[in-house]
Amino acid sequence: MTAGEIVERIKKNLGSPWRDTTYRDTFKFGGAETTVTGIATTVFVSIEVIQRAAAAGLNMIIPHEDTYWNDRDDTTIVSRDPLYAQKVELMRKHDIVVFRIHDHMHSQRPDFTYVGSARDVGLESRYETAPGSHRFVIPETTLESLAGEVKRRTGARALRVVGDPKAKVSRVQLGVGYATPAINVPDVDVVISGEQQEADGGFDSPAYVLDAVTLGVTKGWIMLGHAISEEAGMLEMAAWIKGFVPEVPVQLVKAGEPFWAPK
Amino acid sequence: MTDLTRRQFAALTAATVAAPLTLVRSPYAAPAVSAGDVVERIRKGIGVDWKAETVDTLKAGDAATAVTGVVTTALASMAILRQAVDAGANMIVTCEPTFYARSDARTPPAGRGGRGGAGAAAPDPPPPPPPADPIYTAKNAYIDKHKLVIFRLSEHWKLRRPEPFAAGLAAALGWTKLLAAGDASRYAISAASLERVAADVKKRLGSRGGIRVVGDPKTEVRSAGLLPGSTPIAAALDLLPGVDLVVAGEVREWESVEYARDVVFSGQRKGLILVGRIVSEEGGMNACASWLSSIVPEVRVRHLPAGDPYWRPA
Repeated sequence: MTAGEIVERIKKNLGSPWRDTTYRDTFKFGGAETTVTGIATTVFVSIEVIQRAAAAGLNMIIPHEDTYWNDRDDTTIVSRDPLYAQKVELMRKHDIVVFRIHDHMHSQRPDFTYVGSARDVGLESRYETAPGSHRFVIPETTLESLAGEVKRRTGARALRVVGDPKAKVSRVQLGVGYATPAINVPDVDVVISGEQQEADGGFDSPAYVLDAVTLGVTKGWIMLGHAISEEAGMLEMAAWIKGFVPEVPVQLVKAGEPFWAPK
Repeated sequence: MTDLTRRQFAALTAATVAAPLTLVRSPYAAPAVSAGDVVERIRKGIGVDWKAETVDTLKAGDAATAVTGVVTTALASMAILRQAVDAGANMIVTCEPTFYARSDARTPPAGRGGRGGAGAAAPDPPPPPPPADPIYTAKNAYIDKHKLVIFRLSEHWKLRRPEPFAAGLAAALGWTKLLAAGDASRYAISAASLERVAADVKKRLGSRGGIRVVGDPKTEVRSAGLLPGSTPIAAALDLLPGVDLVVAGEVREWESVEYARDVVFSGQRKGLILVGRIVSEEGGMNACASWLSSIVPEVRVRHLPAGDPYWRPA
């Protein structure tokens, strides 16, 4: 079967019309005519992911994020670096086809990035205030112990936290990737998300939480990192695709956390 | 004159000579410098054309306020405002916003901070204004009570050459004398493993949980480039190919982090250390304090670091 047929089935099964205006959800390498031997879902098309997918006999990669180190996958920005040519040559050699699913994944219900991240960090659905609210009221704990639990479950080595470790928290708002909810919502103690600009943005949560700590107001901010935050949901994505593409193997090939933390 | 002993005469002469200096240093007799004067001196003296559209403006306080002391910092946090007041300074020059957004307004941004949250349907009729935000309220009250003046200085300070944020970060890292290229961005450091350099960077910058590294800990690095503040992929593409290590403040993870990950996996012996935006800018704001001292000699100017906002659970 071809990559084009698989993309058609994805579009048909989404439950909402496909928007051709997206620059994100398009072929990034190879095309519709490529014969597919197996599908790898992942968060980032790293060189390592390409090698591991190829070794597992999976030549179609369906990532949530970009391939060429910028959101628009504008190759003119990166093509002067020899690593770009190396990456392209590696994909050509293994007859790889890359089709990104980002915008439509976030507009799908449920949005698998939230489902996967909630599962990964241990926010159980019985604590969610309403389906799709991404807001959880968990048994009271401290920010330190919540962050420790999130670190243990996700395996995130370079997780970052702002807030008073001893603060008692129970109301958690989950965000994913770069879609970090603002921390100044009155009935939210903690935001857990992937990545957010540290300052000079739409809302600078680190600075707000620092001031909350100084003023004795309970607020906490747990940043998982972009890859950890959104990769979990690519497991749900793989299971969903498997449901309507029974002809070839479909599996998650993890890009994993790119960071480590010095002692 | 005959009534005066030699010693008395000498003492009197010394006092007369010293008098003008004493007067200048006295808070009672010194000609007051207003916050507006300080801003004017910055605009005139910074050495780059002042932009018509800029974030470098007064964010709080009255320009007519007589300045008692100036504090520079990467982030005018509540803790920094308190430290400034404790130190007798009423003017704060900050690199980053005071009110949690680029808009830097003294009230919460419209549409944020209300109830509803992600995924909630837009209510109809339009929602009422968000409830008073206790953090904004308390910070504003503190600023008003202590008659503080807050000025943001970011875009224009960055345009000076050598680039003060890179030079300041290098100074904080102890690399100033190791400058390798004509600008302030490249350094020839003593060869060491990425792991050791990262531990040293962490120690020198006073990092807590904000420091993150990409690369093999055992890779030996001997050249380093600096990207303080927030930088796009183009900056990493320009710098990393020519050095073993880049020390950056903040980058987009889907850009420079993934690029560095691919660089390392492809076999290049390189690394990327992210220290966080605010931590990366303190060196530049320390340099800013020295410069401000030279153009505002009437009052004391000091740098107070906002510190690493992050910690990491065990």
